[in-house]
Amino acid sequence: MFSLPLFKQSVKSNWVMWASITGVMSVLCAQFSALKMTQPLLFVIFYGMMTTILPAIYVLVTANKLIAGQIDRGSMAYILSTPVKRSTVVFTQGVFLVGSLVAMFGIETLVHLAVNAAKPITLATALGNSDLGIQGDLTASMIVQVNLSALVVCIAIAAVCFMFSGIFNSTKYSIGLSGIFVGVNILANMLAMFGSLGVSGLDKFKYLTICSFYDYKSVLFSHNDWITKMIFPAAIAVAALTIGSAVFKKKDLPL
Amino acid sequence: MNVIEVNKLTKDYGHGRGIFDVTFEVHKGETLGFLGPNGAGKSTTMRHLMGFSKPLSGTANIGGLDCTAKHHEILRNVGYLPGEVALPDGLTGREFISMMKNMRNTKGDDRTDELLKLFELDPNGDVKRMSIGEKRKLAVVTAFMSDPDILLLDEPTSGLDPVMQEVFIDFIRNEKKRGKTILLSSHIFSEVEALCDRIAIIKEGRLISTVAAADVKHGLKNEFTIEFETTDDYDRFIHSGLSPEKGNKSAKKCVISVPDKVTNHFLAALSKCSIRSIDEHSVSLEEFFMHFYKNNKKFGVGGIQNA
Repeated sequence: MFSLPLFKQSVKSNWVMWASITGVMSVLCAQFSALKMTQPLLFVIFYGMMTTILPAIYVLVTANKLIAGQIDRGSMAYILSTPVKRSTVVFTQGVFLVGSLVAMFGIETLVHLAVNAAKPITLATALGNSDLGIQGDLTASMIVQVNLSALVVCIAIAAVCFMFSGIFNSTKYSIGLSGIFVGVNILANMLAMFGSLGVSGLDKFKYLTICSFYDYKSVLFSHNDWITKMIFPAAIAVAALTIGSAVFKKKDLPL
Repeated sequence: MNVIEVNKLTKDYGHGRGIFDVTFEVHKGETLGFLGPNGAGKSTTMRHLMGFSKPLSGTANIGGLDCTAKHHEILRNVGYLPGEVALPDGLTGREFISMMKNMRNTKGDDRTDELLKLFELDPNGDVKRMSIGEKRKLAVVTAFMSDPDILLLDEPTSGLDPVMQEVFIDFIRNEKKRGKTILLSSHIFSEVEALCDRIAIIKEGRLISTVAAADVKHGLKNEFTIEFETTDDYDRFIHSGLSPEKGNKSAKKCVISVPDKVTNHFLAALSKCSIRSIDEHSVSLEEFFMHFYKNNKKFGVGGIQNA
């Protein structure tokens, strides 16, 4: 079911990308939450964009490398020449991809919690908007919940990229379709964000992106919408991982 | 007892590519050479034996187990050397060896160290920076380190220098003595000649024939160009019961091919003539098979009939 040696190899060949994205995300998080100048943009820019764009870049590259890239290069032949089931291979790679995202958000969340404990800020400051009539400080549980909401959406994006990686034998199709998927979602999310900031018409773009299921506002306003909204990306993730694994297990490999 | 059994295996990739109705078997302790030109279907057959591809029809079994459904069980006891060397990236040679060792559940370092020494490979250093030959050696070491009983070797010596090819051939010869069952795909005739008990010839996806290696060697013939002193000598030779392939009376030259079984007759006829020169062109196994391929053009798929 799970192969530790394969997992170790995945860690070795992907840790640089993971570490740099995690580093950038953590540094940005610390900066946005600690510096007065950028605190008003903590949610609009950092949680609104960075927590989806940066992990999306990571999963786009990594999901492709985990399966389709290795089939395209031919190195999958070595893995599959050992007494290992294909289902074990795809499960292990899936665990790595999802696990590395969890670790990425885990570290970033810890950084934010640490900064927030040292320099607490009010919700009005964090949102950069004092007209909303929102009271109180940004709490630790809010930070965890926002990150959880973002993580589930990122896992769904990762799962879709992983599905393409499992379906196609050729990197050009795998990374091409993953790229289109990620690009459309991120772009639509940005346009929708401008819509929510007052550019009329652009708010319709929120229906085009999976990132709309990630709802930090609902957390900050203490609604429970974000929990029900997690069901959709979670379902997408499960479906995509299942399809990708099933195709990979059945298909002919050009090794 | 048949260890490897391929029965009516068919996989059509379209445009006449693929393998069609391939049937052969490899007995325990036997080495079968799998010979054919590029694109003939050698690697495709290997791919089915490894469980990478599913057959359109027919079956491929190793040790009585179906290669598609049970590949993870079969591979416990199979060493595979892929035709293309593409190692996973981001690893050093030693890390790759230890990863493969863990995935194969191999214990102990003795055999690995022995193999590294035999093939003069230094596994330290990034796989990416290794030359093709070094990568190939690394693949060889990982294929053999768990000491499997069945070996599937897809063009194993490509990329090795001549010295290492020798080392490799000696090594396989030794493995043969230890009772290993080997399927060796190749288009390098010397390798096949040196190692194989039987030879299966595949061309354009179809198995043309399976022959015992000894018969093939016996069937080889030598070709001579003989120049005679006089036209009388020429005539005497021409009418000695041998049948020269080409003759030119005015130049007093003829070309004759001599199968092993007429060697004595040939020498007797020559001894009665006065001869200016003899040139021998031995027909290599390679030419023999080239000849063989061409004679079987009718098996071709897609109407490729250019001879």
